[in-house]
Amino acid sequence: MPNPGPVSSAPADRDLIAQAAAGDERAIGQLYDRYATVLYTVAYRVSGQRADAEEVVIESFAQAWRDAARFEPGRGSVAGWLTMIARSRALDLVRARSRRERITQTAAADVPDAPLAMGTWRGDPADALDRTERRRQVRAALDELSPPQRQAIELAFFEGLSQSEIAERLNEPLGTVKTRVRLGMQKLRAALRPFFFEQGP
Amino acid sequence: MSTPDESSLRDLAAAYALGALSPEETRAFETYLATSPETRQEVAELRETAALLALSAPDAEPAAGLRARVLEAVSASKLRPLSPSPTAAPAPPRPARRPSPLVWAALAASLLAAVGLGLRTGRLADELARRNAELAERDSTIAEQARRLAAEGQRLATTDSTLASLLSPGVQLVQLTATGDPDPQIQLFWDRRRNTAVLHASKLKPVPAGRTYQLWFIKDGKPVPSVTFDVAPAGEALVPRVTVPSEGQISAAAVTEEPAGGSPQPTTPVLLVGTLAKS
Repeated sequence: MPNPGPVSSAPADRDLIAQAAAGDERAIGQLYDRYATVLYTVAYRVSGQRADAEEVVIESFAQAWRDAARFEPGRGSVAGWLTMIARSRALDLVRARSRRERITQTAAADVPDAPLAMGTWRGDPADALDRTERRRQVRAALDELSPPQRQAIELAFFEGLSQSEIAERLNEPLGTVKTRVRLGMQKLRAALRPFFFEQGP
Repeated sequence: MSTPDESSLRDLAAAYALGALSPEETRAFETYLATSPETRQEVAELRETAALLALSAPDAEPAAGLRARVLEAVSASKLRPLSPSPTAAPAPPRPARRPSPLVWAALAASLLAAVGLGLRTGRLADELARRNAELAERDSTIAEQARRLAAEGQRLATTDSTLASLLSPGVQLVQLTATGDPDPQIQLFWDRRRNTAVLHASKLKPVPAGRTYQLWFIKDGKPVPSVTFDVAPAGEALVPRVTVPSEGQISAAAVTEEPAGGSPQPTTPVLLVGTLAKS
């Protein structure tokens, strides 16, 4: 049972988003309990700073709250939507920081924090179990890619590079990078479809 | 450049879901997307796939207090929602209501009705993309402003501590000047009790790339290397904390131009010099 989904008594993610759209703040609390760890993980991986990752999580849920009415179920799951919000906010933050650091030439280098926060909060154990299984599947699927495919996809997702920027960084032809991204993503999609946050209609 | 055909547009779906297209490719792809329900389905799945990549990152758990901060931010944002455009009238006092789902359903329906009318659809897709880009830009501006404020706070704190160093009792001012040129000047505020100094330079010529200014203390007749510093285009520099050698007899301070990173011994003639009076 790789993808048990929410227990029957718990409201579906989409219902929570609808409640948030109707002005119920508690819905955001419930979404936090389900997905804060995923959002924090990606924000931390992108920014490398605990304080930045926390700021990203706060801003992402605030944005989800503001944009709840604009959520389009046809475009994917709530969890996927939240995750992509957190990823792009983290990338924005990192880009803004590097712009600023290029301007002011202060030397004080930010030392990356240790990955695990002290005194951590842990969500619902059922969600954690779900997350552990998904994580295992995602890592296994990535291991099935060729290393260059995996590298191109990770540069795009975690560092926000465009295909041209990836080609430049790796000193490879653009066409080669495009093929790696396309084939790699198609392979991941086939392998991970059973583990999507929500199954399609 | 010829217009990309449909299959090559469809090939962009994976990169689009990862946000790895150029702005032009994104525009072309979104226009095409509005006309192709199958590709929309494909993009939805690829986006789900991309979102799962988050789980491949090393495990990290948020701190315990974060939940409360999120809920606080949510409550706060209820009071000041994004206004629809900078020129729009101020929002009414109970603004938590966003456009009702009906409005969005109607928009979605009109979007569907436009499928087949290629041109009109393209325009709608462009408009949506433009609005989305505007919103994203506004969001990132807000993040940028918050960062800038934090940086400004940091700068103020540095200024405060510099000022405190200048004002502490027993600080002696040493002027470094150049022979034959009245312009360049360096002031050294030397705190004898703490063996520290604040260096302030004005009207120094910028040095070429790969070169830097270096300060020296003349101790027992020999130059002891101190800090290196670069000047702003206006010729100004401020080094808030210079350590002055505590042992031995210091008779003077001098400045030379050195290779970036500084030298253990001066390699060029002294540009500015000032003598340190005995206390």
